[in-house]
Amino acid sequence: MTAIPERLRIVIAEDAAIMRDGLTQTLTRRGHDVVAAVADADALRQAVDEHVPDVAIIDVRMPPTHTDEGLRAAQAIHRERPGVGVLVFSQYIETQSATELLAAAPAGVGYLLKDRVADVSDFIDAITRVAHGGTVLDPEVVRQLLTASRRGDTLAALTPREREVLSLIAQGRSNAAIAAALFISPKVVEKHVANIFDKLGLAPDDNDNRRVIAALRYLES
Amino acid sequence: MRAWARGHPWLADGLLAAALLVVTAPQLAAGQASAAARGAFTVLAVLLAATLVPRRRYPVAAFTVAAVIGAAQILFGVQNGSGPPVFALQPNNADLVILVLLYTLAAYRPRPVSIAGLVVCLIGSAVAIARWSPAHGTHPTGALFGAAAGLGGLTLTAWVLGDSVAYRYRRVYYASLEERAARAEAERDAQARIAAAAERARELQERRARAVDESAARLRRIERDLHDGAQVRLAALAMTLGEIKENLEQSAADHRTLGLVGAAHQNAKDTLAELRDLARGIHPPVLDRGLGPALGILAGTSAIPVALTVAITQRPSPAIEAIAYFCAAELLANVTKHSGASRVTIGVSEPASGLTLTVTDDGDGGARLVAGGGLAGLLERVQTVDGRLEIDSPPGGPTIVTIELPRHA
Repeated sequence: MTAIPERLRIVIAEDAAIMRDGLTQTLTRRGHDVVAAVADADALRQAVDEHVPDVAIIDVRMPPTHTDEGLRAAQAIHRERPGVGVLVFSQYIETQSATELLAAAPAGVGYLLKDRVADVSDFIDAITRVAHGGTVLDPEVVRQLLTASRRGDTLAALTPREREVLSLIAQGRSNAAIAAALFISPKVVEKHVANIFDKLGLAPDDNDNRRVIAALRYLES
Repeated sequence: MRAWARGHPWLADGLLAAALLVVTAPQLAAGQASAAARGAFTVLAVLLAATLVPRRRYPVAAFTVAAVIGAAQILFGVQNGSGPPVFALQPNNADLVILVLLYTLAAYRPRPVSIAGLVVCLIGSAVAIARWSPAHGTHPTGALFGAAAGLGGLTLTAWVLGDSVAYRYRRVYYASLEERAARAEAERDAQARIAAAAERARELQERRARAVDESAARLRRIERDLHDGAQVRLAALAMTLGEIKENLEQSAADHRTLGLVGAAHQNAKDTLAELRDLARGIHPPVLDRGLGPALGILAGTSAIPVALTVAITQRPSPAIEAIAYFCAAELLANVTKHSGASRVTIGVSEPASGLTLTVTDDGDGGARLVAGGGLAGLLERVQTVDGRLEIDSPPGGPTIVTIELPRHA
C-alpha cells in the first residue's frame, strides 16, 4: 500500500522459536527493524521499556500459563505507553478478548488471527496501520460479530454492498482503503458509509478509530 | 394345650396347684382335729401346692421347700412309738408336688443336681415306708415291697421323664447353637464379601476418576502440542509461501510456477484453518481460563442470541469443565440446527452436589434421546463421571436440558 515503506521499529513476543525467527526474517527482509524478539510477557515488557518501539507484535498464549499472558501484557502496554502500537495475534478467534482489547481506546491496537501472517503484505500493512495509531480487527472477528449480533433485523436492511463496507469499517479500514479493496471510488464509499450510519441510527464520524468503536458497540449491543 | 402351657407357664402351674388343693380338701374334711391344727394343715398344703407355681423359674428352691415339708411329714406326721402324729403334718395328696418338682429338676437343671434330688426322694421314700410300717402293725412283707416298689417306681419315673425332656432340650439347644454358629459364619462371609465389593467399587471409582482426569490432561497436551508444533510450523510455512508468491508476482515469473506456489499457499492456509478447528475440538484453549470465559466465547459466536449466566465461585476439575463446555457447545449447536428458537439461555450454577448446566430455548420442543444421536452421546459423556442429564421438551417447547455434574471426576 505504502509506496515507500518506512522503517518501523518492531518488538516481537512469540514463544514458538520458528514463528519468532520467521517473523523476524520476513519483517527484516521487508526493510523493518526488529529491535527485540522475546518469548514471554516479562521479557516483552522489558523490551518495550528499553526500546520504545513503534509497534509490538504479541502472541496471546505465552509461558508460563499459556492462556492470555500476551493479551494482558498488550493491554498494559497500551495503557502505559499509548504511543506504542500493539498488534495481538492469536491462534484462535476470541471475539470477547478482541473487542475488550479495542473497547478502551482503539488507537494503535490490532487483533489478528495468526494465520494472517501467510499474506505477508496484508500483515505488514496491518502492522503499519497499528504503528500509526490505526485500528485493525480480524475479518473473522467481524464476521462472527455480524453473525452473533442481536441487531439482525436492522442489519438485514443493509444492502450486500453496505454490509461489506460495514465489515471493512469494523476491521478498521479507512475510506481510501475500503475504496481500494472494493474497487470503487472514495466518493461512492462515502455515500455507502453515510447510508449505513443512517440506517443503523449512528451519528456520522470521520475518525476511523471512533467509527470502529461505534460499529463494534452497535454490533455487540 | 402344651403350646398354651408353654406360653403361659405361671398360669398353667397355678391351675395344676389349684387342682392338687381340690383333691387334698377331702383329707382335711376327713380328719378330726382342732381348728388350729386344721389351719396349720391348710397352710402347709397350700404352701406345698404353691411350690408348683415358680417351679420352672426356681426349680431347686421349689424342690427344697417341698422336700423340707415332706421330711417334716415323715418325721412328725406318721404315728410311731414316740407319740401321736401331728395332724398338720400328716402326708396328703399335695405331696404329689414333690414328684412334679423332681421331674422339673430333671428337666431344667443339670444332671448332678437332678440326681441329688432323686437320691433325696428315694431316701425319703425308704424312710417313709420304714416309719409307716410299724405304725400300722402287721403288714406282710409283700405289701412292704409293693409300697417300696410303688413309691420308688413313681420317683424314678418322674426323674426319667424329666431327664428325657432335658435330653431333648439339650439336643435342640445344641442344634440351635450349631445353627446359630453356621448362620454367624455365613453372615461373616457375606459381610466380608460386601466389604470386598465396596472396596473394589471404591478402587474402580478412583481409577475411573484418574482415567477421566488423565484423558482430559492428555487432550489438553495434544492441543498444546499442536499449537506449539504443527500449527506454528504450518503458519511459518504459509508465511514463507506467501513471501515467495509475492516475490514471484513482482519478478514476472512464469504463470505455471506462480500458479503452483499460489495453490500451495492457499492449501497451507486452508490446512491451518482445518487444523485450528480440529485442535479446538480436542480442547478449546480458552477453557484453561475457566468455564465462564469459554462459554462466553461460545455464546458470542452463536447465531442465536444467548443469555449466559455463570454463577460459580470455585472452579471444578479440568475434566468436568471440559465435559460441561462440550455439552453446552453440542446443545447450542442442536438448538441452532433443529429448534427454530429465537432465544437461548445457558446457566451454570454450583449446588452443593457439584455443577449444574442448564440450556433452555424457546424453540419447537420435542427433543428426545435417540440411540446414536447427539443427546445420547452427551448422556454417555456425562455418565463417565456419574453425572445426570435430564431433557424436558414438550411438543411446542420450550426445551430445557439440565446436566448435573460432580465437581471432580
